[in-house]
Parts: sequence; structure tokens; C-alpha cells
Amino acid sequence: MRYFLIIVLGAFLAFMPAQSAAKDKKMSPAEVVEAADVAVGLNGLVCDFCSIALNKTFKKRPEVLAISVDLESKTLSLVLKAGAKLTNDDIVKLVQRAGYTATKIARKDGPDFMPAPKP
Amino acid sequence: MRTRALSAAPAFMLMLITCLAAWPSPAQARPVSYPDGWTVMLRNDSIQNSAHIHYTFDTRHSLGLRLRYDRDGDFVFTGAQLNRLIKRWNKPDSQANIYGRVALGRVSDDHGAGELRLERGADQSLLLGVSADWETRRYFVSGSAEHWDNGGYGEFSSFHGRLGIAPYVANSGALHSWIMFEARHTPESRDKVSGVALLRFFKGPALLEAGVDDRGGPLLNYIHRF
Repeated sequence: MRYFLIIVLGAFLAFMPAQSAAKDKKMSPAEVVEAADVAVGLNGLVCDFCSIALNKTFKKRPEVLAISVDLESKTLSLVLKAGAKLTNDDIVKLVQRAGYTATKIARKDGPDFMPAPKP
Repeated sequence: MRTRALSAAPAFMLMLITCLAAWPSPAQARPVSYPDGWTVMLRNDSIQNSAHIHYTFDTRHSLGLRLRYDRDGDFVFTGAQLNRLIKRWNKPDSQANIYGRVALGRVSDDHGAGELRLERGADQSLLLGVSADWETRRYFVSGSAEHWDNGGYGEFSSFHGRLGIAPYVANSGALHSWIMFEARHTPESRDKVSGVALLRFFKGPALLEAGVDDRGGPLLNYIHRF
């Protein structure tokens, strides 16, 4: 059992660089922020696992072309596919599904939306 | 195979955690990792070698396989573990969580090839645990309590507390580093109180911890989210 666990650990350590290199290289985080159709303010964003949860959750949506999470500004930036729409309600629910709280949704082509605080 | 009924205290804790798991929670859901995410958690220290591979099936629950070698008792636990995020607080600069966990399985001897000693057979085992954490991008505090009922292999409890500080604050995708200290109380062990100094490195989906305890024993933990 001891040796099994050590082998499993070794295998995952060896696998780690491959995972890190497997990022979407189409747009850099700065390019996503620059081109973002939607910027979402977030509460509870403290670590890289938070970024991954948001990335995985939003990338499942066919409307999303690219995503970037900035821990400094606590902002999620979304670039949508041409003609695609994500409603404010969709965004709030997806953020909740990932485990966080949306505090503000700012759109390039529309008014800002402030989600109602949870009781 | 020897089996035995669960004693009253763990049965009460099981009922309590089951009630917490069934408690209707507010709409602010949070996955243990994130829905449809797989996580591998490996822990290796002077107390145990443990592997937990779990799947997050909704925003608050994950279920997976737990393998654990107990160094003091020289036995192996194999079973299923359910984790529940009982409560999360998302604040502008911090996050806090309370988790519960239940594992059910069997314990058996870990005999090496050709090793001669008394067979203890196999028995049922139950883990009940609760943990809480609070963190900002600079500070980290956590605590956990576990109780294992390993049937004929005995019962034991453990209490862990951690403090951490990040020497610098890193952004998404960068290498995050933490300096941490962990205090442990294991009432049934030979070393009832111990401490571990460790470094945590965190990048993307991978988290690695390496440390040494106050008796010179190593600690090596690894978490990977898929």
C-alpha cells in the first residue's frame, strides 16, 4: 500500500506539467480582458482553484469563446461567440454553480447589473 | 471476517452529519470542487499514507474512493467517502467553509510478502469528520476533527489546526507559495501532540505541500483537480 501511494503520487507529479501546458492559447488573459463582452465582479475569489472552477464551469457553455479570471481585481472576463448571449440570470447562476458570488455584471453593450444580495 | 456494531458515539455523529448533509441549504450552492470535476488528494506523513479520489456530482457533494494506510496500527482502510460542503461564506477579500465527511469501508492487515505475524482479519470501518477554513490571499486558518471506528482495529480521533501566510500575493496562473504550521492532537497515538512546518506550492490545478514534523518525519501532500 505504501509503495502504491508513492507510485500514484509520482505519476501525478509527472503529469502536472502536461496539465499546465494544456491551456487555451487562442487568447492571452490580457486579450480576453481587452475584448471582454462581459465583466463580472466576484466575492470569495482567493486562490487559483477558484479560477479553475470558474474556467471549467463557463467553458462548458457554448456561448463562451474565452474566459479570464483576475484575482487582483476579482473579476471574471468573458468573450462571447458572435451573436451569442448570456443573460444576467445565467451568469449569476453559473457563478453560484462554481461556488462564488457575483456582485456586479458590466456589459460592453448594455447597462450594469447588480445582483440582489443573498439573505 | 469479524464484524461488530457501531458504538453509540460514532452512530450519533453519523446521524448528525447525515442530518447536516440533508439540511435544505440556501441557494448559494458551492461544489466541493466544481460539478463534474475530479480531484486526487494524496497525504503522506508520520500518521498515514492516504489517497482520496473523488468526483464532485453537484455543487455541494463529492463522492469517491479512499485508501488509507495507518502507520501506528499497520493496517489499511479501503472504502467510499462522501464529502459535503455544509456552508460557505464568500466575502470581498476572503472565503470561509465548513465541510463534513463520512467514509465507510473495511480495514485489513497490511502484510508484506513473507512477513510472519498474527492475522487480525478484516473488519468494518467508519470515518466521521468535520473541518473548517478561512482564507484570504495572504492568510490561511483551518481546523479539522476526525473520528475513526475501525472495529477490532480500534477507534481513534485526530484534531488538526493550521496557520499559513503567503510571503507574496500571486495572481491567476502564477506560482502561489505559502508558509504553514500544522498542530496535531492524536489522543490514541504514542505521540499525542505534534507539529509540522511545511511549504505549500500552488499553481493552476496542482497543489504540493512538503514539510517536516517535530520528530523529523516527512510530510508530502498533493492535490490535483481535473
